[in-house]
Formats: sequence, structure tokens, C-alpha cells
Amino acid sequence: MPAHHPAPELLFDYAAGSLREVQALLVASHLAYCAECRRRVAELEACGGVLLEEVAAEPVSDGLLDAVLAKLADAPAALPPQPATPPPNGILPGPLHRALGGSMGGALDGVDWVRIVPGIHLSGWSLGVGTASACLLRMAAGASVPAHRHTDHEMLLVLTGAFSDEFGRYRVGDVASYDPDTPHHAVADRDGECVCLLVQDKPLVFTGALGWLLNRGFRF
Amino acid sequence: MSLQADSNDPTVPSLERLLLAVAQGRDQQAFRALFQHFAPRVKGYARKLGADDGAAEELVQDVMLTVWQRADTFDPDLASAATWIYTIARNRRIDRIRQERRPELHPDDSMLDGDGAPPPDHQVQAAQEASRLRAVIGDLPPEQAEVLRLAYYEDKVHSEISVEQGIPLGTVKTRLRLALVRLRRAFGEEA
Ligand SMILES: [Zn+2]
Repeated sequence: MPAHHPAPELLFDYAAGSLREVQALLVASHLAYCAECRRRVAELEACGGVLLEEVAAEPVSDGLLDAVLAKLADAPAALPPQPATPPPNGILPGPLHRALGGSMGGALDGVDWVRIVPGIHLSGWSLGVGTASACLLRMAAGASVPAHRHTDHEMLLVLTGAFSDEFGRYRVGDVASYDPDTPHHAVADRDGECVCLLVQDKPLVFTGALGWLLNRGFRF
Repeated sequence: MSLQADSNDPTVPSLERLLLAVAQGRDQQAFRALFQHFAPRVKGYARKLGADDGAAEELVQDVMLTVWQRADTFDPDLASAATWIYTIARNRRIDRIRQERRPELHPDDSMLDGDGAPPPDHQVQAAQEASRLRAVIGDLPPEQAEVLRLAYYEDKVHSEISVEQGIPLGTVKTRLRLALVRLRRAFGEEA
């Protein structure tokens, strides 16, 4: 069971449907590891059910039921199976597996990587919606992410290995959340590489002498 | 699908029974009854979220068609009929009206061993929880109820609620967390 969870507000926004796609990808992926948060979300969805019962009903047009009944005849008895459940023992949680196109076989073999500094890579794959973006971050054993500042929220979900920062240690399934302007220094464990799903509301801006160069390496 | 669920069991509340009849018997009468109950509510939900009349009715059609096609995935141990249809309406709205994809956890997605089944203490009828939850929501202080309403009905994440209502983000979070504590009591848990 993970020790670090998404903030309660995030689970709430996810259940209410207001959370945007990129952040929702991280929350849904965390749920694959976390029975506790799954239960929280189910409770908040029950809240949505109650609110649906209490919403002011709006009469529908007369022909709408007939229109739907006519479509039932054409509709297949059941939808085709849900796409792409990752293979057992894969390292990608289902929602992320599907976001990557479902072609990875549950592993990271098909991901191409862009080197940022020695030991630190970002995936060529990224998902950007609005001001938010997601990609994968790969830290070699013992590597640390260079100092950077961010103008908005940042979250990491650990997929393999573990890393530490000044706030704690994060293992598979854990979520690290950083408010804007919170300095933090992630360092991968020494005994193996660490791969995370990285979600940001705005692109990273690296500071320091390397910043100009590093920022050009980003492909958000 | 729960093995215990049976569309002939009279103890299952009626909306749930109707859904099971659609799942097990492709029962069009049951589907009509579900439509009569839920279509105006789904339309009201879509209208509250800003859809115009035409878009709201298209969403209703989409949701009710999905109900027909996915009824076999409804499990009354996990959710009431209203909750299950709420999740469909929420996801279809995100897809159709906001034009984003909804990243969802599927039943087979768990990365944990042997936790696919709900915990034993959760086998209580979800519909009974719903009536407790309804009472808790009805009793929320107005400022907490407002935060819920804005998130569920106005598509606002909590940071947007803060900006648009001119309330500090910390206050929005506090109200929300207080509301969540009360809601959790409806499930018999201390937060
Ligand atoms: Zn969790």
C-alpha cells in the first residue's frame, strides 16, 4: 500500500469530473496501486450519485426515448471489450498503459528517451492538455534531478525503483506533490534506476548556468 | 458482476433491479423505466454544467445507450444505480463536451495482489449508504455544500473555485476537507 497519496482535493476533483485529463491520468494511475484511494473515490462517486438524484430534472423532448430505443436495435449487445489491459507483471498501471497507446507490453521498452543531464532522461512521449503536461522521468541509480524552479504545481508517481527528496522517500505507487515555488531535490536510490510519471501544470524552467541549454532539451 | 446479484431478489431496491433486468434479460420495459427516471436527471446535470438543450439531449442519448450496452458491468455491491449512471454521465460529458479523454481505472488494472474484490465490510448495499449520504449532504453548512456544488455541477477544480469566488485557496481546501470528513461519516468511517 502506498504511503504518499494525492491530496484529498485531487481525489475529490477526480470523482467530481472537474479534474483535467493530465492530472486525472496521474490520479487514475495511482488508484491502480492504492485500495485506500479507490475507496475514497468510490465514496465521492456515491456523492455524485446522490447529487444526480437531487439535480433539478429537465423534461426531455417527446421523441427522445423512441430515438434511443431505435438505436438499441442497432447497438451491439455489448460494447467491444475495453481496450488494452496491461499484461500481468507489467510495470505500467492500466491508465498509463492506455495513454501510451497500449503498445508497450506493460514495459518501457518502446519508450524513447531524451537525455537532460547525465543520468536523467525524459520520455519523448508526452501528453499535453491545456497548460498541463505529463511525461516519464527516468533517473539512473543515485542520480539527482538538477535544480529547477516551477511556476506551477508538479507531481511525480513512482513506477519503478524509489527516490527521496527533502520531504520523504517515495516507492512504487507513491505520489510526490510540490506546490509552486517549493524547492525540492529528487535523488534516485543508489541500488537501481527510478522511473516516474511526471505531471506539471507548466513546463519546467531550469535555473543556473545550464538552464538555457537544458530548457532547449525539453519537448513539452 | 456479483454472483449474489439477482434481478428477482425483492430486497434489491427497484432502480438497481431494473438495471439488473437490463443486464440479464435485455429487458426493454426495464430500460424504459430507467430512462423515465434518469433521462431528465442526466439532462438537468448536463444543463447545469452549461450544455445547451441540444447538447444536453445528445448526452442523454449517449448515456442511456451506454447504460444499455454496459449494464452487465453494474454491480449493486459496489454502487447504487444512481452512482453508476452518474459515473457514466460524468465520463461521457468529459468526452463529448469537454473533448478530453477520461483516464479511468478498469477492474483488471490493479497492481496489487488479490484486492480485486471489495473488502468484506463494503458489501453493504450501496443504496443504503446513499440514503445516509443524502442526509449528510442535506445537513452540510452552506459554504461546504457550495464547494461540492461548484465541483460537481460547474466543472470547477478547487483552485478555480478559489479564483472565481474570491476565496483564498486555503479556505476552499479547508471547507472541502471539512465536507469530506462529514461525508466519510456516512460510510461509517472516521476520517
Ligand atoms: Zn492512495
